[in-house]
Amino acid sequence: MTAPRNDILQGTLALLILQTLSARGPLHGYALTQQIQRGSAELLRVEEGSVYPALHRMAQAGWIKGKWGMTERNRPARVYVLTALGAAQLEVERENWARLTRGVNRVLRLA
Amino acid sequence: MSWIDRVTNLLRPERLSRDLDVEIDTHLGERTDDLVAAGMSPLAARAEARRRFGNRGRKKESAHDVDTLAWLESVAADLRYAVRTLRNSPGFTAVAVLSLALGVGANTAIFSLVDAITLRSLPVSHPEQLLQLDQGKPNNNVFTNPLWEAVRDRSAGFTSAFAYGDEQFNLANGGAVDFAQGLMVSGGFFDALGVRPIAGRLTHASDDVRGCTPMAMVSAGFAERRLGGTAGAVGRTVALDGHPVEVIGVVDPRFSGLDVGRRVDIYAPLCAYGALSSDPGMLDGRSTWYLNIMLRPNAGMALPAVNAQLAQLAPIVYRTTVPGDWAATGRHSYLQGKLSATPSPAGVSDLRDNYRAALTVLMIVVGALLLIACANIANLLLARATARQREMAIRLAIGAARRRLVRQLLTESLLLAGTGAVIGVIFARWASRLLMGFLSTQDQPVAVDLSINARVLGFTIAIATVTGVLFGLLPAWRAARTDPQSAMKAGGAVRGAMRRGLGRVLVTGQVALSLALVVSAGLLLGSFERLVTLDPGFQRDGILLTVLDFTPTGLKDHALVTVSAQLLQQVRQLPGVSSASLSWTTPIARGGWNDFVRIPGYRPVDMRDSLANFNQVSDGYFHTLGTPLLAGRDISGDDVAGNRSVVVINRTMAMKMFGSASPLGRTFTTPAGDSASPPRDVIGVVGDAKYSRLTQPAPPTGYFPVGIGGLGNSTLTLEVRSTRPFAGMIRDITRLAASTSPAITLRFTTLAQQVSDSLTRPRLLAALGGFFGLLALLLAMIGLYGTMAYHVTRRRSEIGLRMALGAGRLRVMRTVVGEANRIVLIGVVLGIALALMGTRVLASLLYGVTATDTGTVLGSAVLLLITGAIAAAIPAWRATRVDPVQALREG
Repeated sequence: MTAPRNDILQGTLALLILQTLSARGPLHGYALTQQIQRGSAELLRVEEGSVYPALHRMAQAGWIKGKWGMTERNRPARVYVLTALGAAQLEVERENWARLTRGVNRVLRLA
Repeated sequence: MSWIDRVTNLLRPERLSRDLDVEIDTHLGERTDDLVAAGMSPLAARAEARRRFGNRGRKKESAHDVDTLAWLESVAADLRYAVRTLRNSPGFTAVAVLSLALGVGANTAIFSLVDAITLRSLPVSHPEQLLQLDQGKPNNNVFTNPLWEAVRDRSAGFTSAFAYGDEQFNLANGGAVDFAQGLMVSGGFFDALGVRPIAGRLTHASDDVRGCTPMAMVSAGFAERRLGGTAGAVGRTVALDGHPVEVIGVVDPRFSGLDVGRRVDIYAPLCAYGALSSDPGMLDGRSTWYLNIMLRPNAGMALPAVNAQLAQLAPIVYRTTVPGDWAATGRHSYLQGKLSATPSPAGVSDLRDNYRAALTVLMIVVGALLLIACANIANLLLARATARQREMAIRLAIGAARRRLVRQLLTESLLLAGTGAVIGVIFARWASRLLMGFLSTQDQPVAVDLSINARVLGFTIAIATVTGVLFGLLPAWRAARTDPQSAMKAGGAVRGAMRRGLGRVLVTGQVALSLALVVSAGLLLGSFERLVTLDPGFQRDGILLTVLDFTPTGLKDHALVTVSAQLLQQVRQLPGVSSASLSWTTPIARGGWNDFVRIPGYRPVDMRDSLANFNQVSDGYFHTLGTPLLAGRDISGDDVAGNRSVVVINRTMAMKMFGSASPLGRTFTTPAGDSASPPRDVIGVVGDAKYSRLTQPAPPTGYFPVGIGGLGNSTLTLEVRSTRPFAGMIRDITRLAASTSPAITLRFTTLAQQVSDSLTRPRLLAALGGFFGLLALLLAMIGLYGTMAYHVTRRRSEIGLRMALGAGRLRVMRTVVGEANRIVLIGVVLGIALALMGTRVLASLLYGVTATDTGTVLGSAVLLLITGAIAAAIPAWRATRVDPVQALREG
């Protein structure tokens, strides 16, 4: 089987989800995917299915909480909210990302 | 997610999976709607939504693997699925679980014996520090009391030193004996081992004063059985060989002496031996060897340092204890005696020495049996895997990870193995007790702690896991390599050739292993049969033995001979007695008496070459036992009464020591201190009779009249050949003995029983070897049958075609049987090689056959070929019933 294109790093996906939930408030999985794609001006294309395992992992880590609700088209969906723990994690992830990009940029400039 | 959710998830893994399904469906629905709204056709939109989502099944499975909890969930799901699958094929499951239960059970049973008898450390404090004292060689570890006292008085360099020796106490005052197993112990015995009383007190090193008051410390079991419980035991009095002795304590039940397998009822202080035994030799005899000595070195003292210290001690220890009555050469070699120590964390055990090789052989046999059972199950699983190939292909095609499929299949086989192991352990607990019963003899009760401990349990879990993986891995590996496309295309008939090849390899291995086991069984059965049917030189059946202990009567030497001769006369008058006699010992009784003989004209190669065994007998002994008189005359009543210095020798002694000339009228002497015994006149020659072991040829043996050569102890055995049932005879003899003196104690047995007790080990090996051999044969037969039946089913259309082209039924049958024969033949050839290599382990346990006995090997090979033919017969017959037309239409 072929590797999916536009695949993004696992950790980055968590950062994107945390950031989106923090900025937009409670969202269900589909809306979350839409927001990430739209927010990145379609530059980042998440393989949509991979959002759900990430959501489960994050829910078990206690960063987000899922509650059953409905979509605008009346489909059952779990609506995810950022927890206090998740808000703290968002800061950690942001800091990590900043460090990573700083490092990568420096290498790009010097090499 | 709260912890409650996690627990509920753990219990109901479908919930997580169902939730995820709902979310995914919602996502796909929303995406499709959006795409349709953007102008796509509903069909294309659905496809695009799926494409963007990625592999749905795979997402679900990776969501499952979120963490350990989720992993447990998936294991639980696998287990539940496995239970369902196995329940769907009860026949397969029953066969697999049963053969595993047998295999695991047999392994656990034998291993729990191996553990209890050879592996386990003694239940004492720091068993790893215990050192067994020996005379330079580990097996040469018995000492006299003077030697022990000499060592004890010079043991300041050690933390502790203690000695102990086996004893048997008669608890009855006259009449039938009532033996308790005893242990004579030095004062420091219990403290050195860290053994505490559960009631009363135990002796200490400070109690170790010659002539101390006799005291008894009893085992908890004995207190329970004989003294009305632990609480009331202390202060009671027990009669030890007629001496009233006070019970001062009850020993911790976890401890039962240092000799694994020997039960100890009563511990008595060594220093009181003088008051308990009429034999002064127990304490002062410089050639009465019966004590084991153990040391505990000071902390940090390594074995070489201990041995260096012992080497320094040895000359003084031996110099102060030289037996004065030994000949000069004997005294000289005594002074060269050595002392050394061997680590002995598991104590010293006759049972262990006796059974170590046998247990090793049994362990190998049951291990091989388990492998054979595994091969059968692997074969069954392979057949199932072929049938389930489509299922696997479908699951792969819809996105199941290969890893998960392998895990699923391994879960199934481990579940099988686990169930088999649980049943096996139950079976083993029963079987190991049965085996223990096998080891016990009339006067040697074997007691071993068989409770299942961590090591035995670990062993069982390990073999269950290894077998589960062993027979599960192959089908699982095969399933993981399934190529979904070709598997789906080809439908049901895939990879038949591959499975057939693997199946054949497995069956060939089975046949080879089975042959090796059958050969072993044949050898063990053959030796036992030879032992049972050999002519020992006496008639083993129909003879009642009464061991008469005159010690409490105080009768000694010639007075004892006179009294016992009168008793013999009275016994001969009893109705039903066809002949009766007295003797110092009887054939195959434990123990014996040997001495060096000096014969004018006989030049022995070495000291050992001049050894002969002896017995003292009354008139009628040879007649009663059925040993033929070959030349000269029998011992007469007058020889006994007149204390004549005469001797009847056996054939071997006559041939070996007197050469071709007639020994009648010639004499020999035995050493008595530095001089010699009075000359013994040879008056007759009798046939050879086995002496103390059935497995050894009759040694040169001399029979003196009762009383000649001195009676070491005041015990004689009465042999009675009778036409009446023994029960009545026992009553009459008891009555006659009591009328002679009420203090005489009696122990009854039969010569047949005595001989049979000496065959415990060969009997056990023959019974188990035969049973396991048969089981192996049966398993191999099932394996071969399964493979051939499968073979015929697979080749139905080919067989149909051949028949359509004119092949006769006989020819078809021959093809199938020929195929089976090829497998069996290869297996047999491999098996013979295996047997020739493996049965060497058996060599020390065989009697009358060699480990590579041609007859046994060939017989076993023929047996396997016949078994193979039987196993192939049904599938071959089925092959001839194939209807060509129908087979071709299906194919």
